[in-house]
Amino acid sequence: MRRFEYHEPGTLAEASDLLTGLGEGTFLLAGGTDLLVEIRERLRRVHHLVNIKRITDLDAVTLDGEGLRFGALVTAGTLERHPEVARLYPNLWAGLRSLGSIQVRNRATVVGNICRASPSADTIPPLVADGAEIETWAPNGGRRIALADFFTGPGRSVLAPGEIATGIRVPPPATGSGRAYIKHGRRRAMELATVGVAVSLETADGRCTAARIALGAVGPTVLRAPGAEAILTGSRLEAGIVAAAAEQAMLECTPISNVRSSANYRRDMVGVLTRRAVTLALEAAA
Amino acid sequence: MTRQDFRIVGQSVKRADVLEKVTGEGLYTGDYAPAGLLHGKIKRSEIAHARIVRIDASKALALPGVKAVLTHADVPRVLHYGSPHPRSASCTRDQYILDDKVRFWGEGVAAVAAISEEIADEALDLIEVEYEPLPAVCDIDAAQVPGAPLIHGVGPGGNLVIPPVHVERGNVEKGFAEADLILEGTFEGGRPVPTYMEPNVCIADWDGSNKLTFWTSTQSSFMVRGALAEVLGLPLNKVRVLVDHMGGGFGAKQDLFQHEFLCALLAKQTRRPVKMEFTRRETFVAGRSRHPFRLWLRQGFRKDGTLVARDMKLVFESGAYGSHSPGVTNVGTASATSLYACENVRLNGRAVYTNTPIAGAYRGYGVVQTYFAIDIQMDEAAERLGVDPAELKLKNAVRDGDIAPSGHPIIGDGLPACIREGITRFDWAAKRAQPREHPTNPAIRRGWGIGCEMHGSSAYPGIKEQGNATVKMNEDGSVTLLTGAAGLGTGAHTALAQIVAEELGVAFESVSVVHGDTDVVPWDIGAFASHTTYLVGSAAKMAAAKVRASVLRRGAERLQARVEDVDLVDGRVFLTANPEQGITVHEAMGPSRGIPAEHLIETASYMPTKSYSFAAHFVEVAVDTETGLVEVKHVLPVHDIGKVIHPIAAQGQIEGGIQQGIGHTLTEDYVIDRTNGRSLNAGLVDYKMPLSMDMPHIETVILEAAPDPGGPWGAKGVGEDPIIAIGPAIANAIHDAIGVRFHHYPITPEDVLKGLRAKEETTNAGL
Repeated sequence: MRRFEYHEPGTLAEASDLLTGLGEGTFLLAGGTDLLVEIRERLRRVHHLVNIKRITDLDAVTLDGEGLRFGALVTAGTLERHPEVARLYPNLWAGLRSLGSIQVRNRATVVGNICRASPSADTIPPLVADGAEIETWAPNGGRRIALADFFTGPGRSVLAPGEIATGIRVPPPATGSGRAYIKHGRRRAMELATVGVAVSLETADGRCTAARIALGAVGPTVLRAPGAEAILTGSRLEAGIVAAAAEQAMLECTPISNVRSSANYRRDMVGVLTRRAVTLALEAAA
Repeated sequence: MTRQDFRIVGQSVKRADVLEKVTGEGLYTGDYAPAGLLHGKIKRSEIAHARIVRIDASKALALPGVKAVLTHADVPRVLHYGSPHPRSASCTRDQYILDDKVRFWGEGVAAVAAISEEIADEALDLIEVEYEPLPAVCDIDAAQVPGAPLIHGVGPGGNLVIPPVHVERGNVEKGFAEADLILEGTFEGGRPVPTYMEPNVCIADWDGSNKLTFWTSTQSSFMVRGALAEVLGLPLNKVRVLVDHMGGGFGAKQDLFQHEFLCALLAKQTRRPVKMEFTRRETFVAGRSRHPFRLWLRQGFRKDGTLVARDMKLVFESGAYGSHSPGVTNVGTASATSLYACENVRLNGRAVYTNTPIAGAYRGYGVVQTYFAIDIQMDEAAERLGVDPAELKLKNAVRDGDIAPSGHPIIGDGLPACIREGITRFDWAAKRAQPREHPTNPAIRRGWGIGCEMHGSSAYPGIKEQGNATVKMNEDGSVTLLTGAAGLGTGAHTALAQIVAEELGVAFESVSVVHGDTDVVPWDIGAFASHTTYLVGSAAKMAAAKVRASVLRRGAERLQARVEDVDLVDGRVFLTANPEQGITVHEAMGPSRGIPAEHLIETASYMPTKSYSFAAHFVEVAVDTETGLVEVKHVLPVHDIGKVIHPIAAQGQIEGGIQQGIGHTLTEDYVIDRTNGRSLNAGLVDYKMPLSMDMPHIETVILEAAPDPGGPWGAKGVGEDPIIAIGPAIANAIHDAIGVRFHHYPITPEDVLKGLRAKEETTNAGL
């Protein structure tokens, strides 16, 4: 481990000033479950850590007619144990449950998992498929950004210098909607997704009225599969249609080969998991 | 050898170290912090094969807080071995502490000591190294072509670590001539590493008399002492090696590591204690793995299933240094004389250097690789002959009197007993009569497999071991056992204390164990080869028996009886004819009526030969034919380990071995880029060992079917056995599920899908 300076601002404004003022190698610390490991293993050069855990009002969870909102300091474990989250957002819940281990989830924040912007992050595909938005604070005013538009590459997002993500909003589940997230990994805990597929469907009178598919770990960011979504939308979601959408999703992903898996295998799994996730989401919608 | 009235042995007594461990009071090497401690770090090469043209540490030395930097120019140039077994003929001197050459990506080229770990870490970046690249050979084929670049100037020639091992018994050609079925195949295995919880760590401190005190997490403290003394030019009594609790070793912590020499030298130069602790990444790059291998196997069978000939060519990849390759090559090759009896065998084994990280000792020591191949091919033979694989394995299993790999006759019918017991307990025939389809999920297929193994409970004849123990009885009747055997976390010291208590006739709780200080405890060769209970246990039993005799003598004196008329049970000496009349051991040992107290000390040495433990593993798997994921659902391991000393500890060994074996077979592989020797997954993110939630239902069965006269009350080893049979059992179960044979590990989901597609194409082509 190499030396770094540690800061503990009391407000978002102070944190933002530190981020802009301290320059390169300055990072926000919330749960730290990823960042501290990266520092220890020399994977990230850090000169300054800005701990935001002293800042108040970032740890609220609300669930009402507006949907779900949670702040930047809400841990994966807190959301996982929220009984309504499990019932209303089983896709997000599946993502939370497969993040790290129980111990990791009790430290790791969901917003941290998102801002790390890893294409294989478990919480991102379900939130993207559900149309979630990320809220930010900035000196000249914050904004709300569709999560699908938030990421620009592995580890990169549209956050401007000094801009801080403060929370996530997820729309309420519509009547007749269903959702699922399936992670493909080699073990049941402490595992990064080889591929992750989230599907959110809205149905009315036996027809799919809207479909959103989010593919994890098969591109530089979590990807949507608009072609596959279009095949599902308007259909009665017969087995043949679902299979066609799954094949289309395979064409829409852009996986790479690495030590975890080959690109071809990842593409194959996008097909299998999309089919399975659509089937699960459909069952949930019924 | 047999005894009916065990009081302590065979009981799962509460481990003596359990409270220390669960309260966090137990000290591990990394917990020691002598005053003035400096932190050492190693600069590692980023090239697989090169000559160091220039190395400049001046900027690092100028960094405030840096106390010393060592490069190859600053350290003694002594050619030494990595596998320090002085009684073994087969260790290979091919290492320098630091050389002007690097032979693998990640090899240490310099070392720093600084006042903090962070400063030492920063100093590494300031050391400038200029390399002249040399052509790297990163796989066994490249290493063996004529004219391949040479990695060492020592050895028998080419990139061979040792002269090829050749074992021949009977007449192989005659055997094949009698065969009705001949099978041939090539098998390969990856590079599993023993991901012990406690990364390698050591602390060195020199005193004013030029004596080195050295704390280190090692399985073989006396070997560390010997190698340090030899390389540093010190007498053995000027090197004191200390080890208390350990977080595992699995064989790999038998080597003498580069960082251990460097730590000692940094401490010497700075005149301050220095600590060096591996990061997890370093446990991969600079640790020791199992040997990757390629094995060609040809076996002949008669129609009735009798195995008549076996021809084998085996190549182990040693990596950049020899380490345990001599031992692994000898053991791995010789193991093919056995398991399934065959009178005609011709076996060739070799180990070759490559510019990759070092392979060393790892639980199963060459046998994992060989029996993976032999057992799978036996399964194939059963399929081709149309017989049940368990029955074919039972028919050919080694039996009492068959000649073992060591050259000794096998004692007892341990392997047949394991197979028979498993067939019944697993309900093998009924399970295999079920459909392979999953009752509800059409993507899943189920399969059942069996794998077998045997393993020696000592390193004999490769190493002539010696077990030593000192047993002291204090004047209050409490007992202290002094042993050099390390406690890797297996509960070995508890087992040794049980043996002493049982033999002496005192309570388990009255025996304490002192270990891990080479200045105090008797010499020990190290905790490896599944031999601690067998070898050191025998010595402890012998020493305890001598103390018992003295206690009986004193007790008889007090009781005014003849020594042959008294007995000692549960800490009480009494008249055999009238047990009511007796005294406690405390009373027997303490002063009384003019007889002074006596402090008894007895030492015993034991030179073992060899015994073998046996196992058959029965496994159920579920294969997802769409994703290729294999799930091990159920394992029923049946082990014969002779007399069981501590049933729960033995069961723990078996379950742990199965966990590691599942990892080897399905998920664990330390991958090296074969084009440049770089590590691709040196860390626990992408090196995937199974965790607690991935474990199947395990139903352990332990038999005492074939006790060995060389172990205490017939006890044999269990440490390595469980990692061996699980691999072929899983591979055979996968074949049973989906009809695809795999001849390698790990068997990845991608391999499964490729295998299923290839099978489909073959089937379609046939239509």
